[in-house]
Parts: sequence; structure tokens; C-alpha cells
Amino acid sequence: MARTKNSPEVDATPVTSNSPSTVIARLSARTSVRAGVGWGLVFGFYVATQALTYATTYKTAASRHILVQEFGNNAGISALVGPAIRIDTVPGFTSWKCLTVLAIMGAVWGILTSTKLTRGEEDAGRWELLLAGRVTRRSAAQQALVGMSAGALGLFVSTALIITAVGHSSKVNIGVSSALCFSLAVAGGALMFLVIGALCAQLSTSRRQAISFASAVLGVSYAIRMVADSGSGLSWLRWITPLGWIEEMRPLTSPRLWVLAPVAALVAVLGAGTILLAGRRDVGAGTLPDRSTLSSVRRLPTSPWGLAVYLSRGTLLAWGGSIVAYGLLLGSIAKSGGKMITASSSLRNDFARLGISGAEAYLSVAYLLMAVVLSFVAVGQVNAARKEESGGLLENLLVRPFSRVSWLTQRIALATAVLALGGVLAGLSTWVGAAREHADVPLSSMFDAGLNVAVPALLIFGVGVLALAVVPRMVSVVTYAVLVWFLLVEILGSVVTANHWILDLSGYHQMAAAPAVAVNWSANAVMIALAVGAAGLGVLRFNRRDVKGE
Amino acid sequence: MSAPAIAAFDLAKNFGDTHALQGLDLQVEEGQIVGCLGPNGAGKTTMIRLLLGLLVPSRGRAEIFGLDTRRQTVAAHRRLAYVPGEANLWPSLSGAETLRLLGNVHGQVDLTYQAELIERFNLDTTKRVRALSKGNRQKLILVAALMTRAELLILDEPTSGLDPLMEQAFRQCILEAKERGQSVLLSSHILSEVEALCDRIAILRSGALVEMGTMAQLRHLSALTVEATFEVDVPDVAKVPGVSMIEVQGRTLRCQVRGSIEPLLAMLAHSGVQELLSHEPSLEELFLSHYGAPLVEATHGPDEK
Repeated sequence: MARTKNSPEVDATPVTSNSPSTVIARLSARTSVRAGVGWGLVFGFYVATQALTYATTYKTAASRHILVQEFGNNAGISALVGPAIRIDTVPGFTSWKCLTVLAIMGAVWGILTSTKLTRGEEDAGRWELLLAGRVTRRSAAQQALVGMSAGALGLFVSTALIITAVGHSSKVNIGVSSALCFSLAVAGGALMFLVIGALCAQLSTSRRQAISFASAVLGVSYAIRMVADSGSGLSWLRWITPLGWIEEMRPLTSPRLWVLAPVAALVAVLGAGTILLAGRRDVGAGTLPDRSTLSSVRRLPTSPWGLAVYLSRGTLLAWGGSIVAYGLLLGSIAKSGGKMITASSSLRNDFARLGISGAEAYLSVAYLLMAVVLSFVAVGQVNAARKEESGGLLENLLVRPFSRVSWLTQRIALATAVLALGGVLAGLSTWVGAAREHADVPLSSMFDAGLNVAVPALLIFGVGVLALAVVPRMVSVVTYAVLVWFLLVEILGSVVTANHWILDLSGYHQMAAAPAVAVNWSANAVMIALAVGAAGLGVLRFNRRDVKGE
Repeated sequence: MSAPAIAAFDLAKNFGDTHALQGLDLQVEEGQIVGCLGPNGAGKTTMIRLLLGLLVPSRGRAEIFGLDTRRQTVAAHRRLAYVPGEANLWPSLSGAETLRLLGNVHGQVDLTYQAELIERFNLDTTKRVRALSKGNRQKLILVAALMTRAELLILDEPTSGLDPLMEQAFRQCILEAKERGQSVLLSSHILSEVEALCDRIAILRSGALVEMGTMAQLRHLSALTVEATFEVDVPDVAKVPGVSMIEVQGRTLRCQVRGSIEPLLAMLAHSGVQELLSHEPSLEELFLSHYGAPLVEATHGPDEK
């Protein structure tokens, strides 16, 4: 019989001789360094591919000149990814292509890590064991911050190593100091949002809420940076957003290390605030007031469907708000963005011949990001379903006369409705934004374009449902992997001439570039059929497995 | 004849290499209260989760009132209510909202009884679940199950975290349920609770049913404790059939007797007995005699002692 045997020394001596005052720091460091190094490798790899691709694709000065003409002054594109400075050089192009994208990914890593290792651990009740010992709440928060900073350091080191190595190549030629500065900028961004996440974790009552708060901060930072970079004469706005500071470091073109000062100041102030708040509140509670007594029964929820809607309403409202804000923003800068494309590009005649306005051309590029936003909603929906199961909440329904099939079908229906509505909101808000600037974008084509970006998200959701049924403990890994795969193939595939089989495997590549191109409903039908198939199979399989906890 | 409330046929569940339950045959007749005992990891919760259709059996099957737990899950669940040992509820809902939601999902609630239960368990239903203590959450989930007046109650350590007063209220509810003809499967570590409530007791160990019977039947399997004080000397009873665990303190003898007590009585009758006490083993003694020795061995290792 398999029984675990107690090790004999447990009774007599402490487990290790390490001081208890570093337990949380070491635990946090272990988890976050592993993840930080991993993400750093991906970041480094991404930078390396962009640099090498540019060096091999645009060999001559003439081809680079065309690139500058096309994108050099394009306010629309620079609103999305930052201004194109010296993109006739490898460092300039690489910086333009990578810095904002990686800063955002780093910020997402920071938010997920800090909310997980502070609030998540607390929600799970694991901190209570330590706090009952000799660790104070304040020191726990302090230790977690120190430990997670080690994760940001790991991210810096692994990113820097790859970029430095690739920079040595004579084709690329990025100096060691530039490589270090670039990695510092990305890791600095991650660290800022790590601390922002930690502070939000102290303010809110659950990890979910903390993530929503911190994501809102990230969304606002990005939106302010967009306005600053959209050529509207408001470029000073860059100085009030963390993402703007990263841009102002100009790490690969003309490094300015002194911009690290506001970064360091923000980290120090918010870090201190986090520690201060941690000492003031109760374990398990938030700093912001939370009503614990309800005098009357509210209207929702009275059924599992109502419950699902009720529980996801906060998240859905936040996503809906972000989609509308982003749509309005895109719409309002579409005209100027499009003007730049058609004014300076050899594509002008092609567009004219096809009857496409510049704004439509611009929006079709920018809508890739809208597809990504909706895909995140899809991933969130699958993971929320899994969390309902792993947290034991689903059992409350399943031990009553409510079948697994009903539960999963309702979840699917909810997600489908949310994604479709998200697509419609995206299209409408973009149209409203564009119409206010008198851009030439018809409502019907924007409506179609909105629904169009919901299709790959639906496919990701379908695959996620199948994963939920077959490999429940891997749902989050599978869904994020599919999303990243779609995105990487689409981004890299647009520059590298890759095998069409690989390109075909990306949902974003299959999606037509609406509104510039008519929506390809037959390709979309294939994706929807795949989504329905995967989800249907998922429902069948889900009925035949054990209900599993974490 | 109506089908039994619970019937398990060769029910087995493996998790990888672990045989959590190995071929369980069990019947709970309608109107019966069956207690289920066993040390941690004996397979009690696995058995209950199989009965509820939350787990898929590796072998065998089970029925609730003749309804297959896998194929007719929803129909079976209409007739039962379940209380888990740990209440995982939605933190942002209040107690009243939780009860209303769970009542709606079940489909049938005795509202008068619900109000009575809330009163009896002294439950504040205006508070959010997040703000409730472990014991209060447990009370909430107990009320949610009892208020349905389901024909079968499946209870997995239902009183964990309850104070003695609430524990008393719980016992009262179960006895009332029995009077109404409801059937109960009660898994518990509180032996006095099982002893006070249950008609029959099932003892599980390492995923197998080792004993099943009424208290009287189980007692019969175990030894009777006899204590005798003598006028002069304690006679040597070692050779009397069925006698074991002899302890002598001065003029007092303590020993255990299995099987018929007659040979011992015959001997004592001629030895000048001053006082004679005998008592049947409590459930606790039964439980310890089933598990005591091997458990000690397993936790402390064979080389101790």
C-alpha cells in the first residue's frame, strides 16, 4: 500500500535553517523568475526575428527609403505602435516594431504575476498559514514585491542575452548598450505594472477585481499614449503615461537612460503604498469598502443562466467599455491614418481602383488588434468556466437536477452572445468615431468588419471548450497558446514569406482584412464550423469525465 | 416493491494507481439512516461523489431509487439533496440569494420549513457568503439541502465546523426526516452522531466495505468488557475460552470476552465475586478495535514501540 512516510527529522528540528522572514520572498521569486525568464526568451526571440527579417528583406537603401515613405509619417500606425523613428536602420525598425508590443506584453505579465502571487495566494488561504506565524502583513507584501522584482530581473536578463547575441551579427549590428537599454525599457515596463498590480491587489477584495483594476490602468495608459502618438500635437501627453516613458527612452535609436527616473519613482511610490495598505487592512478583505450585508434580495440571479450573467457582468462591462473606447479612438484617427497611407504610398492607385478609402485601409490594419481584444474575451470566458469547476462552485449546480450538458451549453451560449455583441459594438463604435471626423467609412462595412473579428475569437473559444472537456487542468495554457500562435503567425507571416500551410493555421490570417476587403464569409463559415465542431465534441466529452478540482 | 434509495453494484474508482474504491456493494433501503465510517482516505467521499455522478466509475454502477447515476443523473438528483463537508459558495451572493438560487435549481422547496430551519440554525441570511464564517457557511448549505425535503439525503461530514448547539439542531432535523420516511446516507467522523442517528453502519477501509450491520450486529462481532472485583484473590482466567486482554489491579480483574460469556460466568461463580460489571463496546471502541492498531503502525512506522 502506498502511504507517505513522515521523514524522521521533522519532529525535532525546523525544516530548514533559513529565516522565516524571507519565506514569501523566496516563494515569490521562485515562481516569478521562472515565468520571467520564459517570457524574456519569447521577447528576445521576437526582437531577434524582427531584426533579422528586416535585415534580410530590406537590403538596399532604396527599399528602406520606400518603407520610410510609406510608414515614416503615418499617424494612424504610430498611434497603434508608436512613432516610426529612423526605420531605415535595423535598430530603428526593430524598436518601432517591438517596443510598444513588448511593453504591453510585459505589462500583462506584470499584472498577472503580481495579482497571482499576492492576492491569488491570499484568496487561496495559503498566506494565512504564514501570517499566523512570524510574518506580518506588511512584511509579506514587502517580501512578495522583492521576490517578484527578481522575476522582472529574470525577464531583463533573458531578453538582454538574446538581443545582445543577435546584435553581434554584422547584418543586425545592435550594440551591447542599446540591447541592454531596450531590455531595461521592456523590463522596466513590466516592473511598473507589476507594482500597479500589487497595489490594485491591496485595494480590491479578490484577484479578479485586482486584475480588472490594473487592466483598466493599462488600458488608459495605452489610450493616452495613442492620442499622444496620433500626430494631434498632444505629444506631451506621453509624459503622463508609463507606456509613454518606455517610448521616450528610445532604447535602440538614441538611448536616454534618465527617463528611468520617473519609472523608478513610480515603482518606489506605488511599492511603498502597497506595503502601507497591506498593513492597514484585514487579511482577505480589500481596502476599498465592501458591503457585507444586503438588506433585500436583489433581482439577479435566480437561475444558473442568470447566475452566469450576474457573475460575469463586471468583467463583461469592462471589456465592453474597452472595446467601445478603442473603437471610437480608432475611428477618430482613421481618416488621418488613412490619408498618410494613400498620400505617400504606391498603394494609392490600387486602393483607388478598388474603391477603398484611406480610412478603410487604415482600419483594416488596425482591426487585427480588435480581433486580439475579442480573443482575450473568448479566452477569459473559457477560463471563467473552468474556474467555476475547479473552485467547487459548479458542484452546487451539478448535485441538483441540472445537467452538465445544460451548464456547458449555457456557458457556450453566453460566450457566443458576448463575442457577437462585442463585434457589433466594435463595428458601431468605430463607425461613430469615424463619422464624427467625416471619414468615408460606410456603416454596413464597419458592421461586417466588427462581426468579422469576432470569428477567430469564436474559434479560440471552441477549441477552449474542447480543452476544458479533455484536458481541464491545461485550459488556460491551451487557450493562450492558440491566441499567441494566431498572432505570431499573422505578425511574422506578414513580413516573412512563410509556408502557406503555416499561415493557414492562423485564424487571424484566415480572416479577411475588413473593411478594406469584403468579409470572406466562406472562410468565416469554415472557422465557425470548426468552432461548433470543437465545442460540440467538448460538450459530449465533458459529460464523460470526472468533475475535477484544481 | 419500490427500489432501494441507494444501490451500488461492484462500484470501483481508480485515480491512476490509487484504488480509491474497490468493488463496493451497498444498499440503503427506503426510510433507513445508514452511517458510513472509515479513516481519512478510506473512500467515503469518492463513494459519495460516484453516487452523485460527479465521478465516472472505473467499474460497476450505482442507482438512486432505481435510476442510473450516470445515465439518469438529473432524474436521480430530483429525488436527493446533498451536503458536502466543505461549502464552496458564491462569495458575492447573500445567504437569502444563495438559498433562492439553489432552491430554484432544485425545483421544489418547502418555504415554511425553510423559514423554520433558518430560525433553528440561527442563520443571518442578509450577509454575503464572503462575510460568513466556516460554520455559518456550513449551516447555509445544510438549510439549502434540508429545505427541499428530498426523499434521500446524502451527507458528507455535514456538521464539520458546527458548534454543539447546532450539532444538536442538526440531529433533530435528521430524526424528523426519518419520521417523514426520508432516507439518509451519513458519512461522519463524529461517532456519537452516527451512533445516535443511524439504523445501520457501514465501515469502509482502504476503499473496501469491511463491515455492514446494525449497532447490535456490530457489537456482536466485538468483545464485551467485564470488570470483576473479588473478595480475596483474583482467579486465573487465562484458560477460559474467549477471554483476552486480561488486566489485574489488586483485587480487580478487567478482561474482554468474545462469543459466549457462560464459561467465564461459571468460573467466576465459584471464585467469590464481590462486584461484577459488564458493558457493551461503544461505537468508538468498535471503531478503534477495527482501526486502532494498524493505524498506529502506519503513522509511526513499524520500528517504533
